[in-house]
Amino acid sequence: MSDNIIGAAKPRIDGPLKLTGLAKYSSDNLLDDMVYAYGVFSSIASGEVTNIDLSVAQQSPGVIDIFHHDHFPQLFRTPSSMEQENKVDEERLPFEDNQVHYAGQFVALVVADSFENARAAAYKVKVDYKTSPVLANLAQAVKVNGTQLHQDSRNSRGDPEPAFQSAQHKIDFTYVTPVETHNPMEMHATVAAWSGDKLTMYDTTQGVVNARNVYAKVFGLSPDRVEVITPFLGSGFGSKLWPWPHAIAAAAAAREVGRPVQLVVPRQEMFTTTGHRPETSQRLRLATDDDGRLVSLRHESISTTSTIDQGNNPYVESCGKMTQGLYSCENLLVTHSTTGTNRGTPTSMRAPGAAPGLFALESAMDEMAIEAGLDPLEFRRRNYADSDESKGLPWSSNKLREAYDQAAEKFGWSKRNSEIGSMRDGNEIVGWGMATCNWEAIRRPCDARVSLRADGTAYASCATQDIGTGTYTIVAQAVSQVTGLPLEKIEVELGDSSYPSGPISGGSWATATALPAVAAAARKALEELKSYAVSERGAFVGAKADDLSIENGQLKSADGKTVAFAEVLKQRKLASADGEAHTGGAPTDQYAFRSFGAHFVEVRWDQGISNLRVSRVVSAIDVGRAVNTLTSRNQVEGAIVMGVGMALFEQTEYDHRNGRPVNNNYAEYLVPVHADQPEVDVILLDYPDYKFNEFGARGIGEIGITGLAAAVANAVYHATGKRIRELPITMDKLMDDVPQAQQA
Amino acid sequence: MADKDDKRPDHDDQGKGRARGVEIHDARAPSRRNFLKSVGATSLAAATAPAWARVGYVNHDEQEPQDKRADEGEAPAKGTQRITLNVNGQAHTLDVTPNMVLLDVLRHQLALTGTKKGCDIGQCGACTVHVNGVSINSCLSLAVMHDGDEVTTVEGLGQNGKLHPIQQAFLDHDAYQCGYCTPGQMMSAVAILNDAEVASDDAAVREAMSGNICRCGAYKNILSAIQTARKNV
Repeated sequence: MSDNIIGAAKPRIDGPLKLTGLAKYSSDNLLDDMVYAYGVFSSIASGEVTNIDLSVAQQSPGVIDIFHHDHFPQLFRTPSSMEQENKVDEERLPFEDNQVHYAGQFVALVVADSFENARAAAYKVKVDYKTSPVLANLAQAVKVNGTQLHQDSRNSRGDPEPAFQSAQHKIDFTYVTPVETHNPMEMHATVAAWSGDKLTMYDTTQGVVNARNVYAKVFGLSPDRVEVITPFLGSGFGSKLWPWPHAIAAAAAAREVGRPVQLVVPRQEMFTTTGHRPETSQRLRLATDDDGRLVSLRHESISTTSTIDQGNNPYVESCGKMTQGLYSCENLLVTHSTTGTNRGTPTSMRAPGAAPGLFALESAMDEMAIEAGLDPLEFRRRNYADSDESKGLPWSSNKLREAYDQAAEKFGWSKRNSEIGSMRDGNEIVGWGMATCNWEAIRRPCDARVSLRADGTAYASCATQDIGTGTYTIVAQAVSQVTGLPLEKIEVELGDSSYPSGPISGGSWATATALPAVAAAARKALEELKSYAVSERGAFVGAKADDLSIENGQLKSADGKTVAFAEVLKQRKLASADGEAHTGGAPTDQYAFRSFGAHFVEVRWDQGISNLRVSRVVSAIDVGRAVNTLTSRNQVEGAIVMGVGMALFEQTEYDHRNGRPVNNNYAEYLVPVHADQPEVDVILLDYPDYKFNEFGARGIGEIGITGLAAAVANAVYHATGKRIRELPITMDKLMDDVPQAQQA
Repeated sequence: MADKDDKRPDHDDQGKGRARGVEIHDARAPSRRNFLKSVGATSLAAATAPAWARVGYVNHDEQEPQDKRADEGEAPAKGTQRITLNVNGQAHTLDVTPNMVLLDVLRHQLALTGTKKGCDIGQCGACTVHVNGVSINSCLSLAVMHDGDEVTTVEGLGQNGKLHPIQQAFLDHDAYQCGYCTPGQMMSAVAILNDAEVASDDAAVREAMSGNICRCGAYKNILSAIQTARKNV
């Protein structure tokens, strides 16, 4: 058991709850006396509310109250600190004033006795606006206001400009990525309930502790008075990391009307008021010597923010963060700038920075390889980085070259004919492309509690979340590994801010952060159990605790006597032996921690009807140890699917005249469906990174999406000869003589 | 991107469906006539009256949905219509207003929250249930249209505490991540496995399942689960 439970392929322990409909997601909570809230959302993107006419809405059936900027309690902003764990991205409070910064901003909130009545009344609220000029996109914003350079994320070494000028081969291109919207299947939702001055939030969050702290700040409460509960989350992909205005509005409304309030953000408004990946424009300048070695690398990006936040610590899409250290290059410059638009506040979306950043870098690497006359894979091999040159630190582990080898072998890369459009299969032209993927591994401090119980089971709790990643199951695996108890005897509770403080489920941190704390807590519980066993009336009275070993849920003495944990406790008439532990972060002053991998992609292009599809993906990923190969593989496969969406479909479009989103629904914002699924083959390298933590696990949620869109773009170039530098790669961009839509 | 309803060969304008040769009411495509008939002229007229929907829910209390059932002897409250829904083999008599959607009635009135709302406009498939053996998007269907209908939700898939073969296959193949689209995926999968007109090859199953979005992207495992369950259904 304990030898192989880590790295095993185990079905989820929470699976039966999800499969029978019993898993409770936020809006599944139907509290006694609960009422429903529905928003009224701004139909303009810039200006102010001049009048709100409630005369019709207030007569609508079941209406209890209607909140707006002239009728809303005074709240406080949160400091929005990552260190204090009270972060939000949109710092402005709902209904703070009559200003409108983006289309879809809350301008009123109806509370009524039923969902139907709340929605019907919301449609009857009449809002008058005074419209101001709109900054609808990156180009407009740069033209009007220019950009703000963020010095803290600037990174440079050497002298890139002269190295570029004197180099043999060089490229200089700009890559553009659109606004993408997370679109988790579960719409953002909050059920807020007050009991005196205690607030309980059944909330869609990827971070119950951070959310708890935010609500405490906003309502001026001690954190002890707030409990955030999220046992299940219909995923988030970053959009549920930090609280958004709807949750605060729901909690305030619940206090005002004196009843629990349920508020679900409609799908359409999940494109406006719950974050998005911002639009980026990235200039890449690369140069190589005659041997195909990079001598100059510059990655300068601009990303959009909201006018609410611009100038006030706005969200920055860190496109160049991976670029700093992924390849070896003496002369490098990475910069990030922002510009404010009349869009909602952007936020982290799966592999923030790296997903758009590696689209640009890995497309540029392909272009550079072609310019230098090298195979794209060979070009990357020549520029492998032996250490993290941006930090001057050795890698804890870097198996990128083996990832290249294994994926290329399985894909059949050696059979590639590099000539454009040369590989055909019936009506289709086949294109093959590849790209590197990369993500930083992060481990944070964490607390956890484990109990060994008299009924023979173990219990573990931690205020982290399982957002679909399999955290429940791997926590149980960690307890199993330490105690030798089988998974079916281990109960795990997550997703409640009252549990020992745990990490957000984001940035691929949760596994590396939570598991060491859980294991340490389990060991402490075992120590306590041993102390009971060797004491008077104990099962091993007279023995030394240190002489007792653990075997399959039993204590074992040096002379071979075994007693089950439960017996040890029963003999002392005790309910449990308990352990609580706190573990720290990773030794980031000694090593650079990153995960690496490679995607190899096949696209098929039917030139006659300009039909493009991704038909095959082979990826080799090195994340250290995959704790559960069933759920880990699923994570990478899912990230590849989202990467296909990023490459071919996904783009939130805004009317350039008025800044309103025009495709804010699932039918017009296209995401991959079953029919778009390519053949996917994921190879998980297995090199535990014990410098990072005892499990050797670096986390796996993000890396699969990084580089995928570039691998597709590179394959599209191989098939069509068209270099698409602006995502998504829609079919019109592959047709000859099709005028492209102009963004004014 | 494919809309599963449009792909169905038995779809027609008359709102009648054919499943394995049996003529049944097609809940997916109600005709305007059926709609008007089911809502009833009085309900439509009442909808303009100010008090019509103040009644709220008959069975608001989650704890005892059975006991507070609309009394057979009493007339339904003004502006509501009395319907009987047979959900997972159990009859529920409910008074509903004309704007109540089947999905919301299942979730809010019957506390059957396993059926999920992902978009509320028929684009994602998370709310898929079976009505008289046919899979529909319950967010696109008014409750009053289902008087007397047999509805099966995810809570009704398993029998006697045992997982249905599709549930077991989803568990074994890890055919989900967050689990939110999962009830809808499984309801569509069962409908497809029971539909002789959907071929059994992978491409046909992918096409037929394309009305159910999984943003976690677990499509590969969902397909494996469906093809495995095929042998056991």
